[in-house]
Amino acid sequence: MTTTTTTILRTTSLHKHYRLGDQDLHVLRGVDLAVEAGEWVAILGASGSGKSTLLHLLGGLDRPDAGQVRFNGDNIFSLGGSRIDQYRNRYVGFVFQFYHLLPELTALENVLISAMMGRSVFGWPGVRKSVRQRAVQLLTQMGLGERLRHRPNKLSGGERQRVAIARALINEPRVLLADEPTGNLDADTGRQILALLADLHKAGQTIVMVTHDQRIADYADRCLTLERGKLVG
Amino acid sequence: MYKVLLISKYLRRKLAPLFAAVAVTICTAMVIIVISVMGGFLQTMRDAARRGTGDITIEAGWTGFPHYAELAQTLEQLPEVHAATPVIVGAGMVKLGDHVQVAPVVLGVDPADLNKVLPFQSTLYWGEENMSLPQVRQRAMQWQLPWDDPADADGSQASEANGNGKTTPPRGIMPGIEVYPKRRDKGGQYASWQSLIGARMNLTVVPVTQAGGMLEPETRELVVVNEIKSGLYDVDKSHIFVPFDLLQEMMGMGADEVIDPETGEPVGGRHEPRASRILVRAAPGVDLETAHEAVRKATARFAANHPDMTGLYTYTWEDQHRDLLNAVRNEKGLITVLFTIISVVAVVMVATIFYMIVLEKTRDIGVLRAIGASRMGIANIFLGYGLVIGLLGAILGTALGVTFVYNLNELQDLLDAWFGWRMWSAETYYFDEIPEHVDYAEAALIAFGAVVSSLAGALIPAALAAQLDPVESLRYE
Ligand SMILES: Nc1ncnc2c1ncn2[C@@H]1O[C@H](COP(=O)(O)OP(=O)(O)OP(=O)(O)O)[C@@H](O)[C@H]1O
Ligand SMILES: [Mg+2]
Repeated sequence: MTTTTTTILRTTSLHKHYRLGDQDLHVLRGVDLAVEAGEWVAILGASGSGKSTLLHLLGGLDRPDAGQVRFNGDNIFSLGGSRIDQYRNRYVGFVFQFYHLLPELTALENVLISAMMGRSVFGWPGVRKSVRQRAVQLLTQMGLGERLRHRPNKLSGGERQRVAIARALINEPRVLLADEPTGNLDADTGRQILALLADLHKAGQTIVMVTHDQRIADYADRCLTLERGKLVG
Repeated sequence: MYKVLLISKYLRRKLAPLFAAVAVTICTAMVIIVISVMGGFLQTMRDAARRGTGDITIEAGWTGFPHYAELAQTLEQLPEVHAATPVIVGAGMVKLGDHVQVAPVVLGVDPADLNKVLPFQSTLYWGEENMSLPQVRQRAMQWQLPWDDPADADGSQASEANGNGKTTPPRGIMPGIEVYPKRRDKGGQYASWQSLIGARMNLTVVPVTQAGGMLEPETRELVVVNEIKSGLYDVDKSHIFVPFDLLQEMMGMGADEVIDPETGEPVGGRHEPRASRILVRAAPGVDLETAHEAVRKATARFAANHPDMTGLYTYTWEDQHRDLLNAVRNEKGLITVLFTIISVVAVVMVATIFYMIVLEKTRDIGVLRAIGASRMGIANIFLGYGLVIGLLGAILGTALGVTFVYNLNELQDLLDAWFGWRMWSAETYYFDEIPEHVDYAEAALIAFGAVVSSLAGALIPAALAAQLDPVESLRYE
């Protein structure tokens, strides 16, 4: 698609262990991955293969035992404490299988809260209008124009996932990290969500998506498989 | 900004924090009520004690001292002194009908003079409002009965009505209202039919010679012209007021002829009349210790010029009532500590409720971390939440406590009317009313303490929330 490609996200020999008592579970055993800007990468793998673990590392939500995650060339784990929070807030956006919306907030507030983060009580009023406009626009674009004031328990699964995607996108992140975004939806609704991701991708959004379903992985530009702690394919 | 949004949402959507706020409210109100009532109690006692004794007293022991009028005048010239009046102090007993009673403190006073030193007239219990007679107090101040003919200032009518045929009418006496006790109703009032006004009372005192010897007891029949209620039980139980010159004479402190102790014959010349005490009131705006110091120095100077004046000493009303006031003060401190300990319950309650919220919100905390919240940010949500609940509880608690204190007596009347139950029995506590007094500095301190306590309660759950592993939290569906 794009002629000049730049690597936006790169991992080098990423290792992750889980220790349970004297058991040592070596989940990731040297994962090397390079994601180009504007690319849609799918990561396939069986249940328990470590896909979510990898995605959490990419998003700076967890720390690896060895190896690096570089965003635009910077190792995100050598950033200072508050910088990595900023990284999660501004540069990546998470979408989860179980939507993970905050039940007390309306659809619109769930989207806005991500934008409020990193802005003080005094900084917020200045940008409130434009951010709100963008949030409404995003939700409308996803067919939720009538559902702004609904709380999550009044929304269907597909609608919830679209709110979650809008939340992930509100800060215009460079990379969208999606962990089985259709895993909890019926086939039809799942296809709608994938179509939505395809639209975003067409508009230039970089996406890393995790799934165990080959048919879903087919939507992506490139498909990698996580097997015995390593990426192949 | 997201913290403000979340705190406001959690406040509106959750019941548990409201319980925490209610707990803080109740504890705040409780401590304010207790401290206010105990403080009011202390203040009432202080006022009564001061009312009963004046600011400063000069004394020289049981046999008194001479040149008292001159000394009082000298003291009144001090800028620190508003007024000074001499009094005679004796002890003896009184007899009313067949009832004989010890009279530990008999005071000979000039009511008009005494009134300049302490609000004597206002401590006269019987007046227009409870006797339906005009000028009861004004008459009593002249040692007259309310129904005496004002033109007949010597009060001969009273004696005539009594028909005892004495040529000299009995003079007035004003006993403390609790000298004859058990007359109060539940509201602490005395029925007018129980008034002793007009009753004949025999007063006996034992005069003492300057050398300390006892003379023959002196007895007089007197007529009660009013009764004294200073508000301090100790005073009203023990004090009896009679005319200054009468007691001076009865106590042998007047200008009697000098008698040779050997022969028992007058040797010519007269004793200098003596008084037992001088009561002093400090000038307005002069603090007690300053006035005391000035009085002490002036008295010492005066005594230095009069060789027959020895053993004079001075003390303030605070010195005089120190033990009583300290006891109440200690009691206040003790109860305050007790209730502060109870308030620790509020802290634990806030901590528990917040801990439950953290457990319930574990997944949401993970989500917040995933979309960029820092550990500090998460902790601040809960601390902010604790602060809001603390503020809410402190404000509501203060409002509740203050309203409660200011309506204690009304509330008690309601309870009495509905259930016939009085939490404050004026019969027992002697004060007619529960003191309705709030020290706002203390209340503010308590409210501040409530906020700090809530924050302390929120601290551990907040730290816990901050320590949560976001990945772990997100594993829960
Ligand atoms: N906190 C943890 N402690 C111990 N083991 C863990 C922990 N988190 C994950 N694991 C284990 O690590 C392995 C990889 O987990 P992960 O969630 O990454 O798998 P996954 O590929 O996302 O699986 P699924 O498709 O079911 O979501 C699993 O065997 C899991 O049991
Ligand atoms: Mg997974």
